[in-house]
Amino acid sequence: MIFSTLEHILTHISFSIVSIVITIHLITFLVDEIVKLYDSSEKGIIVTFFCITGLLVTRWISSGHFPLSDLYESLIFLSWSFSLIHIIPYFKKNVLILSKITGPSAIFTQGFATSGILTEIHQSVILVPALQSEWLIMHVSMMILGYAALLCGSLLSVALLVITFRKNRQLFYKSNGFLNESFFLGENVLQNTSFFSAKNYYRSQLIQQLDYWSYRVISLGFTFLTIGILSGAVWANEAWGSYWNWDPKETWAFITWIVFAIYLHTRTNRNLRGANSAIVASIGFLIIWICYFGVNLLGIGLHSYGSFPSTFN
Amino acid sequence: METLKISTKPTMSHIQNQIHPLNLKPYPLIHNSRILGVYNNKGGRTFSFTLTCKLKVKTVKGTKTNNEKSVSGQITVPDSDSAPPIIEAEEGSIGNGEKKMEQKNSVSGSGLFKKLPRKVLGILSNLPLAIAEMFAVAGLMALGTFIDQGEAPDYYFQKFPDDHPFLGFFSWRWVLTLGFDHMFSSPVFLGTLTLLGASLMACTYTTQIPLVKVARRWSFLNSAETIRKQEYADTLPRASVKDLGVILMGDGFEVFSKGPALYAFKGLAGRFAPIGVHLSLLLVMSGGTLSATGSFRGAVTVPQGLNFVAGDVLSPSGFLSTPSDAFSTEIHVNRFSMDYYDSGEVSQFHTDLSLYDLNGKEVMRKTISVNDPLRYGGITIYQTDWSISALQVLKDGEGPFNLAMAPLQMNGGDKKLFGTFLPVEDGDSPNVKGISMLARDLQSVILYDKQGKFAGVRRPNSKLPIEIDGTKIVIVDAIGSSGLDLKTDPGVPVVYAGFGALMLTTCISYLSHTQLWALQDGTSVVVGGKTNRAKGEFPDAINRLLDQVPELVETSSPKESDSLVASKLELERTGLDV
Repeated sequence: MIFSTLEHILTHISFSIVSIVITIHLITFLVDEIVKLYDSSEKGIIVTFFCITGLLVTRWISSGHFPLSDLYESLIFLSWSFSLIHIIPYFKKNVLILSKITGPSAIFTQGFATSGILTEIHQSVILVPALQSEWLIMHVSMMILGYAALLCGSLLSVALLVITFRKNRQLFYKSNGFLNESFFLGENVLQNTSFFSAKNYYRSQLIQQLDYWSYRVISLGFTFLTIGILSGAVWANEAWGSYWNWDPKETWAFITWIVFAIYLHTRTNRNLRGANSAIVASIGFLIIWICYFGVNLLGIGLHSYGSFPSTFN
Repeated sequence: METLKISTKPTMSHIQNQIHPLNLKPYPLIHNSRILGVYNNKGGRTFSFTLTCKLKVKTVKGTKTNNEKSVSGQITVPDSDSAPPIIEAEEGSIGNGEKKMEQKNSVSGSGLFKKLPRKVLGILSNLPLAIAEMFAVAGLMALGTFIDQGEAPDYYFQKFPDDHPFLGFFSWRWVLTLGFDHMFSSPVFLGTLTLLGASLMACTYTTQIPLVKVARRWSFLNSAETIRKQEYADTLPRASVKDLGVILMGDGFEVFSKGPALYAFKGLAGRFAPIGVHLSLLLVMSGGTLSATGSFRGAVTVPQGLNFVAGDVLSPSGFLSTPSDAFSTEIHVNRFSMDYYDSGEVSQFHTDLSLYDLNGKEVMRKTISVNDPLRYGGITIYQTDWSISALQVLKDGEGPFNLAMAPLQMNGGDKKLFGTFLPVEDGDSPNVKGISMLARDLQSVILYDKQGKFAGVRRPNSKLPIEIDGTKIVIVDAIGSSGLDLKTDPGVPVVYAGFGALMLTTCISYLSHTQLWALQDGTSVVVGGKTNRAKGEFPDAINRLLDQVPELVETSSPKESDSLVASKLELERTGLDV
């Protein structure tokens, strides 16, 4: 009883903090960068992180198993992973752009998990026989950490694509304006171009940063994904009698793995690097969601734990 | 020429011996410098995660002078498998990669036989091809999850009709001709996978293995200009290259020094790991092939108390499947039981199994459950399914009778339901009436009377009689059947070895290979370096190290920081150009 109350309290705290942080982000996005507000949103995410940690621990104690047995719990864990990446000082110090991605991602997943959409599966459910294994912790946590890192990395790539294409468009506009203005305001144009080149300089710096950090984060996520898939295969060999069953979830995890392997290979080639690899990563972004969510929503295959209760396997 | 030994690591000691001046032979060192130069040229700033395949092909094309055959010939390394020789790179060779390569044409007129495989290798190790193959595999797998697998042809006639083809062309003809109804064993899919495996091998052979040979060697740079051309470059005034070496060693670098020049590297494993990734993928693939061709599988549902012979259940999956002695083992199901949560849901299934050899001797006994299979002589027995085979019932004190339970079709859901029927009137009449009994699991039995009305619930073993329509019934026991899967799989050890290697090498692949060169230039030390992955953090990390280098002469003006800023600016500028 006390656990469920505690769980409720923590859920509500994290959800309200998340709402506040969303508002702050919107304000800073729409109005202006108010430093104090931004700082408080940073603190808010740290508090959310501890709340989610508490939530997970309470669920663990009250249910007696690692809280990763259904979609709701895995979503909570996903937002926990995002906020973990967010507050890791290593990334915080080096990569401000990454925290711009992880913060909102944590907010959205947490908001989605705690919102009304999934209320009917908030109750911590019993663990079906096939899930009763030590592999659960390793497999699912690695998979979700991998998803979290890959999502962050591919979002950085999406940002890179957006900036690249906006730059191209603006260059186009600029050249148009250039023609018009050059007729009567020669000096002004000169100033404009120098201004633009400074802007372009920062833009290309930003693109380089995005490119580099999406590569690093995706490599990290890829490592987690590999470990997750392989530990899942070993577990499947214990529980289902075969290390690979071509189950939809497995297949999609493998597709995700291949897509990010393609990404890492495109990085090795100078001609394919940049926008091309970013496109691959953006495809990967969609595929992760299909793998993580789509397959569960369809409720097909052996991995259908999140969608409806099954009696056996 | 004097050699200074700084590294004290035991692993490098044999290499240290090689640095001795007496062993220093004039050696055609162009190989190394040339190849490094090419990387700088083509690979640009990043040495990437999996070492390049395309790079190789381009190298051949770009530097081809008079032959097309010396793909692997040009990167030959002396066969001495001992320590790699020390190399003095020619000045300026690293940094400007447009050096013409002299090619050694070792292929004579009979080279046609060698030519063809090399051409095939060259095509296979092409990076765009490999990427296309990976996309093809991913696409086919995605298709395999969208098309329901393993249905009868009629299903596909309905789902993909000829007159309304999906996307205008995709009808059942496509599905059945290309074997997409069993995608993951269809020739198209397996062929693509094989092609990918071939590309993997070709790339490992033509690109990655030569890289090892290159990366195992190191070279000193004797010109400050060359060092300044590195991705990272800095000048330390009033510093000693020896101090730098000591500090680098403290940070885990392998340090080599000769006269005023210093070379240090770290994380060499990170450069080799992608090869390991490829090799372990090949290991997994070969293990998978072995599994597919050499295994036996079978499933059986055995009521509690009965037995079966393993070999009767197992059927071979491929031409390599050979039965073993263990196939004659007789397996006896001693007991099947289920655990329940307080809410009544099933928590676990247990089957107590005894294994007997040909002589009837018990060789093994184990209670298996889901996630806890039994392994004996290469055979693995899994708990995968269950059912209720019979109810033992006392009717008016007579019996017990065994009533066979039949699985009932449920509309929707995957919960199981079993039912049986006990006739209470004369069995000869055309419409027999009797008592129906239903059970979801082994916990309780629901009884209905002749009219089909609910009569009561009894637990097996409770010995509590229930009177329905004048008949006293005691449910003695519910006998479960255990659903067992049996398999032998010779591929598992291979696949597991591949898994282990893959996990390890993928993790190591995250590490960066960092190389540093330094040269004592008067009182100052010129430092330059590059890394293949962690390029973002690299300047900070090196600056931190360089800050520790003590100044030789105590002076009041800290000029070092000025030069740091200057070189940082320079770095940013050059970074922009690239």
